[in-house]
Amino acid sequence: MISLYLAHSSWLHRLPAGFKLCLLAAASMIILPVTQLEWMVVFTLAAALLYVTLGNRGWQNLEMVRPLLPFLAVIMLFHLWAGSFYEGGVSVLRLVTMFLLANLVTLTTRMSDMMEALQPVFRPLQWIGISPRALALAVALMVRFAPVLVLVMNSLDEAWRARGGRKKKWRLIAPLIIQAIRLSDHVAEALTARGGSSGISVRPIETRR
Amino acid sequence: MPDKGGYTLGPLFNVVANTAVSWFSRKQKTPTLAHEAPLYASLSDSICIEQVDLQRANSPLFLQLSLRWEESRVGLIGNNGSGKSSLVRLLNGLITPQQGRVSVFGYDTVKQAALMPALVGFIFQNPDHQMIFPTVAEELAFGCEQLGQSAQQARVSALALLTEQGIASWADRPVTQLSEGQKQRVCILSVLIMKPRLLILDEPFSSLDLPTRRQLLALIHSTDMHVLLISHDLSVYADFDRLIWVDEGQIKADGAPDDVIRTYLAAIDKLSVSL
Repeated sequence: MISLYLAHSSWLHRLPAGFKLCLLAAASMIILPVTQLEWMVVFTLAAALLYVTLGNRGWQNLEMVRPLLPFLAVIMLFHLWAGSFYEGGVSVLRLVTMFLLANLVTLTTRMSDMMEALQPVFRPLQWIGISPRALALAVALMVRFAPVLVLVMNSLDEAWRARGGRKKKWRLIAPLIIQAIRLSDHVAEALTARGGSSGISVRPIETRR
Repeated sequence: MPDKGGYTLGPLFNVVANTAVSWFSRKQKTPTLAHEAPLYASLSDSICIEQVDLQRANSPLFLQLSLRWEESRVGLIGNNGSGKSSLVRLLNGLITPQQGRVSVFGYDTVKQAALMPALVGFIFQNPDHQMIFPTVAEELAFGCEQLGQSAQQARVSALALLTEQGIASWADRPVTQLSEGQKQRVCILSVLIMKPRLLILDEPFSSLDLPTRRQLLALIHSTDMHVLLISHDLSVYADFDRLIWVDEGQIKADGAPDDVIRTYLAAIDKLSVSL
């Protein structure tokens, strides 16, 4: 779900972020009490159909369910073991539907719009000294650097294999952590150079020509 | 409501309520923007390092280093580990000296540290370390928000700059999809949008191809800001006003770019021969 915002515009892009989040909450409340497999199948297909309406081969984003499959398999296995095959099917489909809908919002909402829509939710935190802006910044940083860390992992893996390393990829964990800490140092420095998380409150007197 | 507590508790309740309300409102107040005058008015045209001592990793890097310039295009050269990066980090307060003082246009980088981000723009070597937002427009808008613009205003300013640069279509592109050159360009624009008076670039060319390098150099020459450029590519200093060569924390040469480059190259040749 990280940083997969679709750059092109669709009808869902044009809806306000807050509205989409409310719709998502409403949809979850409708889907949650459904216990009939037939209805669940209908909901799942409807959610999948929404991807098609994104245009520009939006249906390709459906493959984002793939990383979820092992977890779904575990849930299904558990239900098979408990002898509740029907309920298992319902709960797996329910998860898939909710995942698809939530992902749809992520795909079509700009990070900054999302954070702005969530600012009122964060506001009470201000009273205990946590700035909503710093929080929004932290979320943005996470979204930004998750793919960077994947790149770092890939280049470490390349360097490892270029020197004949094959199995035992777990050996890359320590260097990855070291690289991540170094990266965070650099990012912190760059953020400080641009005024930090609290913004700039003092400015030089304008003397420009 | 205060009456509920009777005669004695009423005023106490009021005090508590008022304190609580004022505490909450103070927490919510956005800081008002203050404009500060330079601490050293006589130095308001120059960038000045005065008798600075600096320790890095328990060994002295600078001892009584002094340097001052008013030129608008200044270059900095030196081998790796010579102190270039530390020197430029003194200029925006990322590093504070143990002794001496550093001032930029008369503003003290330690005593007036809060205004350094608005005064000095810093471009780092690796664009991936500098970009903190997932999309281009957000990255640019961040600078405007830092300077007190609302989120909407900031986005408008960001889009205006992108349009002015002829790259309006980049606005919602994820930064991970940009090429190295495009990333570096976004980094520079996101600093330029804050309108600093001194722009410091720490080896910005290292990962750029020739066309992007030319483009970036043209951008550097077209701004009306003061520029301090670190680069290992000596050809970029052709139109610079002044070049400074730093070696082991000391100024080895300082003057017209041609002369300094000649001295520097001669010293390197001598070193290679002795190897």
